[in-house]
Amino acid sequence: MAGKGGATSSTYAPSPTTQKTKSLIFGNNDVDWVRSDGREFHQCRPAFFKTGAVNCASGSAYAEFGNTKVIVSVFGPRESKKAMMYSDIGRLNCDVSYTTFATPVRGQGLDHKEFSSMLHKALEGAIILDTFPKTTVDVFALVLESGGSDFPVIISCASLALADAGIMMYDLVASVSVSCLGKNLVIDPVLEEESYQDGSLMLTCMPSRYEVTQLTITGEWSTPKLNEGMQICLDACAKLAEIMRACLKGTNSTLEES
Amino acid sequence: MEYVSPEGLRLDGRRPMEMRQIRGEIGVVDKADGSAVFEMGNTKVIAAVYGPREVPNRSQQMNDRALVRCEYTMANFSTGDRMRKPKGDRRSTEISLVIRQTMEACIMTHLMPRTQIDIFVQVLQADGGKSRCLIAAVGTRSACINAATLALSDAGIPMRDLVTSCSAGYLNSTPLLDLNYVEDSAGGADVTLGIMPKLDKVTLLQMDAKLPLDIFENVMQLAIEGCKAVATYIRQVLLENTKQLEYRRGTHGQSPAYSAFKVLFSAARRFIAVLMKFDGGYIMETVFDEGSRLKIKHIQSSIPNQRAVFRF
Amino acid sequence: MKLIISEMVGLSIGEKHFIQGGIAQDIRSDGRKRLTPRPINVKTGVISQANGSARVRMGATDVIASVKAELGRPTALQPDKGKVFINVDCSPTAAPMFEGRGGEELSAELSVALRHCLLGGKSGSGLSSLLAIVSQWNVFESNCRVKIWVPLFVSGAGIELSSLVVVEGKICWDLYIDGLVVSSDGNLLDALGAAIKAALSNTGIPRVNVAAGASGDEQPEVDVSDEEFLQFDTSKVPVIVTLTKVGKHYIVDATSEEESQMSSAVSISVNRQGHICGLTKRGGAGLDPSIILDMVSVAKTVSEQLINTLDSQIAAAEAGEDES
Repeated sequence: MAGKGGATSSTYAPSPTTQKTKSLIFGNNDVDWVRSDGREFHQCRPAFFKTGAVNCASGSAYAEFGNTKVIVSVFGPRESKKAMMYSDIGRLNCDVSYTTFATPVRGQGLDHKEFSSMLHKALEGAIILDTFPKTTVDVFALVLESGGSDFPVIISCASLALADAGIMMYDLVASVSVSCLGKNLVIDPVLEEESYQDGSLMLTCMPSRYEVTQLTITGEWSTPKLNEGMQICLDACAKLAEIMRACLKGTNSTLEES
Repeated sequence: MEYVSPEGLRLDGRRPMEMRQIRGEIGVVDKADGSAVFEMGNTKVIAAVYGPREVPNRSQQMNDRALVRCEYTMANFSTGDRMRKPKGDRRSTEISLVIRQTMEACIMTHLMPRTQIDIFVQVLQADGGKSRCLIAAVGTRSACINAATLALSDAGIPMRDLVTSCSAGYLNSTPLLDLNYVEDSAGGADVTLGIMPKLDKVTLLQMDAKLPLDIFENVMQLAIEGCKAVATYIRQVLLENTKQLEYRRGTHGQSPAYSAFKVLFSAARRFIAVLMKFDGGYIMETVFDEGSRLKIKHIQSSIPNQRAVFRF
Repeated sequence: MKLIISEMVGLSIGEKHFIQGGIAQDIRSDGRKRLTPRPINVKTGVISQANGSARVRMGATDVIASVKAELGRPTALQPDKGKVFINVDCSPTAAPMFEGRGGEELSAELSVALRHCLLGGKSGSGLSSLLAIVSQWNVFESNCRVKIWVPLFVSGAGIELSSLVVVEGKICWDLYIDGLVVSSDGNLLDALGAAIKAALSNTGIPRVNVAAGASGDEQPEVDVSDEEFLQFDTSKVPVIVTLTKVGKHYIVDATSEEESQMSSAVSISVNRQGHICGLTKRGGAGLDPSIILDMVSVAKTVSEQLINTLDSQIAAAEAGEDES
C-alpha cells in the first residue's frame, strides 16, 4: 500500500510466529521488559491510513497498525428495506468479518460475531443520523490480517471510511486499547501481548468533543489504574485523530504516533 | 423390561392409574396479559399469553376471527444433557402447531375479529433424566397444553371450555396413565389426548405405535379420566385465584392498606390523577408497595391499569 | 436495540415527560429515588437437572440462570485450564418481539456483556479461586466421555479456570452457564448477573476420581461421584450494576419504560473489594470521561448494598431449600 515511517519492523514482514512462552516475555513481577517489537509501553504502533481503498464503495479506508491490516467500506445511504418500519432517523448497518488467512491459524478469526454490534454502538453516537432519514448506511469491515488490537483499528478505520463517504458526523471516532500485563499498562497490544493480558481496556472517543462513545473493560481494575488507563487512551485517541484528520486532508499520510 | 411389577407398581412407584404430581400457578410473568406455570412430575412449563391485540403483520389479519399463534421453546438447560440445538427445529415447530390447533379449538375466536392472540410456551425442565432430549420433548406436550389453558384463562380470553391434556400408554399388557420418560421411551403405544371436559369433546388425539382397537378404547378411556382429573385441578387453581382477587378487591375481608386505596380510587379517581401529577411519588409508592402484587388490571375494571391512570 | 425497545414500550409524549421529569426531581414513577434498586427476590435450586440454578426477580423482571458442569478436554493452547461458557436466551414469554429469531440480537448482546463483566483477564477477577479445592482429586478407575469443544473464549478467567482442571491437558470441567429471560422489565443484565452469582453458590460439582497409570497420550479414566459434591466459594463473584443515563442524571435498576428514555447506559461489574471487574457501555450517545469515572464511583457504593442484599437473599434461599 505505502511506505512506512519509523524504524520499527517492516510493514510487510510476516507476522511473528514465535511460540514464546510466558516466561520468555516477562515475569509476573517484572517491572520492565522489552516489547516484542521494541516499542515502549506507552508507545503505539506506527499508524497508517489511506482513504479510497475500494473503488465501488461510497467511501472506504484502509488502516495498517503494525501487522493489523483492515479495510472498511461504506455503502449508502440507500433506501431502507421495505419491511423495516418508517424511521425519521437513518439506520446504520455494521458487519465485521475476518479473512480466512487473517490469523496465524487458518480460519480462527471467525467467531467475532459480537464485533458487528459493538462497532454499531461505537459509531452510532458519532453519526448525525437525522441527516439521512428513511435510509440505511452499510459499514463493512474486513480484517485482512489480525495482529492484535484489531477492534480499535476497525473502529478508527470505519469512522475514516464514513468521513470519506461524506456521512455527517459530529467528530471522527478514534479508538485505542491498553492491556494490563502484570503491573504495567501496555498500549496498543500486539496479538502475543493480548493473549497474555490480565485485563484489557478499550476506549473509543470523539476527541474534539471529548466524549466517550464506547468503553469496554475486562479483568480486575482498581480505580487509580482505571484512571490511568483511561487517560492514556484518551491522549492516544487525540493523537490518533490528528493522524486520521491529516489523512483526510490528503497531507502527509504516514505519521508515527508516540 | 418390566414396567409394571407383579405387585402392580410402576418404576417410579405409581399405580397404573395414578398420575404424576401436578401443580399449577397463575400469574408468573408480570408483563404478559396472562401467564401460568404448570408442572407434571419433573416437567415444568411456563406459558404466557399476549393479546388479543392488533395484528402486527397485516397480511395475516382475519376479518371474521382472531388469529391464534403459538411458539414452543425449550430452554437449553431443560434436559439432562445441555441442549445445543438452534431454535425452531422441526420438533418444536410440530409441537407449536399441535398446541395452536388444540387451543384454537376452544378459544371463541369469532368474538375477537381482526386481533391476534399469542401463546408462548417455554419449557424450563423436561422429564428425561440424564438422557438425550428428543423424546423428552414429546412428553412435555400435555404439560404445555395445560399451562396454555391456565394462561389463557388468566388473560381473560373467552373460551368454550378449559382444554386439558393427559397421556396414557400400554405396556406389559397394562394401560398406564401419564407416562414418565422411561415409559415413554420404551416404545409402546402412547396416546396423548386433549379434551374439553364440560363439553365432553376431544380436541387433540395423537398416538404412535399400534394398538388393537378394543385396547385402544381402554387406553383412551384412561386418558380421558386423566384429563378430567387435570381439569378438576385446574378449576381449583382458577377458583383459588379468583378468591385471591376477590380478597384483594376488598369484597372478601379487607386489608387496611387496601381499603384506604379503594376509598381513594372509587371516591375520587380524578383526584388521584391530579394528586399523582403533583405528588406522583407518594401515591405511586403506595400503589406499588402493595401494587406490584395488587395487579390493578384485575381489580379495578374501571381503571384498566396504572398506565391508564397516569395518562390523564 | 435502543430503537426497538422504545418502539416496544410505546409511551406517549406526556408519559415520556413524566418519566424524565421524575428522574430529574429524584422521584421516579414507582416512588424510588434515583439510586434505589427494586427489591430483589432470589430462589435457588429451581432446575433440578442442573448442577446449580437460581431464579431472580426484580419487580417484573424475572430471570433464571442454570449451571451445568460437563467433563471436557482442555484446549491445546491452555492445557491447565477449564472452560466456562456463558449463554443467554430471551424467551418469547418475556415479550412477543422475542418470538422466532427476534430475541437473538438482545441475547447476543447480553451474553457478550456478561462475558465481559464476569470473565475478566487471566489474573482473575470476580470468579477467581472459585474451585480451589477441586484440584486435589484422587485416583480411581472408570469410564469417561471426552469431547472436543471449540471454546467461545479461552483467556477469560473471572472464574479461576485453572482450578477446573482434573488432569492437566486431558480432562477438565466445562461450566455451561445458561441464562433465560422469562419476564422482562428492564435491567436484565444486573438481574442475570445476580442470578448467575446465586446459581454458582447453589452449584455442586461432583468429585472426580482419576484412574492411575494412564500415561503418555492415553486418556485417563475417571469416576464421577454421585454423592460427593464440591461447592464454589462465590463471595468474590462480582455483581453487575447498570447505571442508565436519562437526561442529566443516571439511575440504577431502570424499568423498561425508563430504559426507553435512556441516552446511554454503563454496566459495571464490581467485586467485594470494590475493584472493577468489567465494564461495558451500551446505548449510542457519547459520555464525558469524567462522568464515566463518576459513574464508576457511584456503582461502587451501590454495589456494596447490592452485594449485601444479594448475599443475604442467597443465604436465605439456600437455607429454605435445605429445609424443604
